[in-house]
Amino acid sequence: MLKVKQVSKIYEGKIAYRALTDINLTIEEGEFVGIMGPSGSGKTTLLNMIATIDEPTTGEILINERNPHVLKKEELAQFRRRELGFVFQDFNLLHTLTVEENMVLPLTLDGKKVKEMKEKAYQIAEKLGIAGIMNKRTYEISGGQAQRAAVARAMIHTPKLLLADEPTGNLDSKSSKDVMEMLESINQTEKTTMMLVTHDAQAASYCNRVIFIRDGKFYSEIHRGDNRQAFFQKIIDTLSLLGGDAHDLSSVRV
Amino acid sequence: MTFRQFAFNNVIRNKRLYAAYFLSSLFTVMVFFTFSIFANHPALSGEAMNSTVTKGMNAAAGIIYVFSFFFVLYSMSSFLQSRKREFGLLMIQGMSMKQIRLMVFLENMLIGLLATVGGILLGLVFAKGILLLAENVLIIERTLSFYFPVKAILVTFISFIILFFFISLFVTYVLRSKKLIELIKGNKMSKGEPKANLFLTMLAVLLLGAGYAAALLAKGVMVVAAMVPVIIVVCIGTYLLFTQLSVFIIRRLKKNERVFWFKTNMLLFSDLAFRMKDNARTFFMVAMVSTVAFSAIGTLFGFQTVLTSSIKDLNATTFSYKTSEDQEEKNVAAINRILKEENIETESAHTVLQSFEVGGSSTQIASQSDFNRFASLIGEDPVTLKEGQVVVVEYAGTNLGQSKDLMNETITLTSGTVLKPKEAIHSKALPAIDSYFIMSDEDFKKLPEPTWEESYYAWQATNGEERVMAASEKLYKELPRYEITSVEYEINEIMKGYGPILFVGLFIGIVFFVSAGSFLYFRLYMDLDEDKQKFRSISKMGLTGKELKKVLNRQTMILFFAPILVALIHGAVALTALSNLFYFNLFKESVAVLSVFLAIQVVYFFIVRFFYTKQIQAAV
Repeated sequence: MLKVKQVSKIYEGKIAYRALTDINLTIEEGEFVGIMGPSGSGKTTLLNMIATIDEPTTGEILINERNPHVLKKEELAQFRRRELGFVFQDFNLLHTLTVEENMVLPLTLDGKKVKEMKEKAYQIAEKLGIAGIMNKRTYEISGGQAQRAAVARAMIHTPKLLLADEPTGNLDSKSSKDVMEMLESINQTEKTTMMLVTHDAQAASYCNRVIFIRDGKFYSEIHRGDNRQAFFQKIIDTLSLLGGDAHDLSSVRV
Repeated sequence: MTFRQFAFNNVIRNKRLYAAYFLSSLFTVMVFFTFSIFANHPALSGEAMNSTVTKGMNAAAGIIYVFSFFFVLYSMSSFLQSRKREFGLLMIQGMSMKQIRLMVFLENMLIGLLATVGGILLGLVFAKGILLLAENVLIIERTLSFYFPVKAILVTFISFIILFFFISLFVTYVLRSKKLIELIKGNKMSKGEPKANLFLTMLAVLLLGAGYAAALLAKGVMVVAAMVPVIIVVCIGTYLLFTQLSVFIIRRLKKNERVFWFKTNMLLFSDLAFRMKDNARTFFMVAMVSTVAFSAIGTLFGFQTVLTSSIKDLNATTFSYKTSEDQEEKNVAAINRILKEENIETESAHTVLQSFEVGGSSTQIASQSDFNRFASLIGEDPVTLKEGQVVVVEYAGTNLGQSKDLMNETITLTSGTVLKPKEAIHSKALPAIDSYFIMSDEDFKKLPEPTWEESYYAWQATNGEERVMAASEKLYKELPRYEITSVEYEINEIMKGYGPILFVGLFIGIVFFVSAGSFLYFRLYMDLDEDKQKFRSISKMGLTGKELKKVLNRQTMILFFAPILVALIHGAVALTALSNLFYFNLFKESVAVLSVFLAIQVVYFFIVRFFYTKQIQAAV
């Protein structure tokens, strides 16, 4: 489904900075993959390149055997709108719109029929438990609700790949748990491929597989067995090997 | 870091944020300063201008000053609105409201001082330009040379330091102590939609309709009487139009999901709804200020046309001489001599204008042959009348609606025959202050004794037109002022007196119009950061460049043309009322003035859109 081949990223500037070196990564259809690493390790850079917001300096990225980076700018925007879904740390909901309007925005931009949009919005809202706040404005809802609305927006057009950048970074532990459980269930029922960048070992433990990167290089990879609790412990262990301090891992990345 | 340093650093290190406010203050100072350079020019303040003109200049400076006050106040408060979050942050750090007021006061005084000095310096650079412009509009014999305007500098500096001081004081009290949470959440929460209610919406339509009807139906002096009530009614109507009707329309659009949920419409309309309150206020202000500009400049041009065309209509020939005194031959000889001296070739004609008793009042009557001689002089078609035929020449000039209707009058000849006019024609051949009759030469001889007689000579230049001015000056020196008429000279004289008014009016009109543009600019840029953030997150989701441009284009278009369109309609109605006042068709002038303004607005729109789109695109 997703292939990252020998990708490097160098930020040009007065002092060139190498953010990523020779990253290889394959994600199968329906997989739920987490990317972890200390601050500045290049996690978000990798995610942005997969999200087609940024371009790799060398190497290539294939989504469904297609390289989106060869597309023209206009086509790229449409590609993102139709094939990808995004969840951000700060929700990125438009505060001029209601929750429902925020959810249907990707479909609206594509000129879909109102009836179709309404149906999809209600289906997904039911599933995510936000049907009651559809007509609320963004400042009237809690962070957990906002992130669920953002997930609903990312899912409404049934994207092939859902990308989440620290989706729990701004949430309390209860809301984090809700959102992660929701992502997990979407992954299981809809078979949506998902990729998650996070600092939070708790959140990462919901993934099938976690990839660690450090200083822009691949470090290690661990798979989840049947037990999430054991997987969580393994993640903590790997993180402390990675050179971090196990105590402050849950802190919010700035 | 002392508190004062903190305030100063806020301004100095955050130039981009303060730039818009600073520039508009700078602009205001510059406008006032250039105007006072002009008003205090030694060539104008001396004997060349009388005291009424000086008074007029002072009044104009006063208007500009008062307007500056409100303009700076508006800029300041809209600038403070965009800093709500910053104030919230400072208050979290434990700053008291008093300290925030002090900070704003210090910042504002610093900006005010910089703007005043900068405006004066910039004004000095443009001073020569404005003096040249004034020279051309004003028709002054002496050139307005550049001078070092000590008085203007002093006046501007002192007035604006005072102005900024009061605004700083004033604005600190505008900063009402809001709840901290509101300041922090400030830009996320809509200021709410203005309350729309059906009664007020109807009232808006009704008031505008009534105002327009009154303005369009009033004739003559009635226009003056109707002016103040109409202005008040239209003012309220416009306010309601933007606050009520706009809410009404946008709500309807939002409710219709087929429209609202169609592609980029959602982004556009939700923004419009979100900013409705701010927009309505700005739109109202821009519409009113532009209407003032349109009407002022339109009126001045219209009035100029009324004045000059009345002379042109009454005197079709290059020179004319009217007399009922005995120096006739001497004076005519003098005119011919001067024309020869100046080498102007002319064709000339002579007649005696006569008035007769018709229907109880004295009415001018001309014979066919006299009329035709003068008609051929200015290239008009001659008339041929049989015995018993009478034609009315209808008065075409500015007559304030007093023109006699001669079509129903009858003329009784000494033979007892009664003549009745059959048709009416238009002609400029003979000078007239009202409509008059033409009849065949045979009938003319049978008229009774005239009630009034005047000898009339006309010269039409066929060669050497460029020396007419020189000749006119000589003529006006040698002959009695009220007997000789040279069209070119008369118009020049009128323009001399009218020039300063025209210039001042133009100046104020342009100032108003430009500041209307700045209001729009402010409105747009106040939301720039918010827009940047919004479009950044949408484009991550996938918004094509084309779609982005489309949304921005429509957003800017509504902002720039909604209020101007209303102002154009207001202006058109006002100018129509003006033509009714003078009984003079000002259609051409109105169209010219309004389309020039529209063209400027279009250019302004393109410039602002270009930069705004560029900024947003850079952020995405």
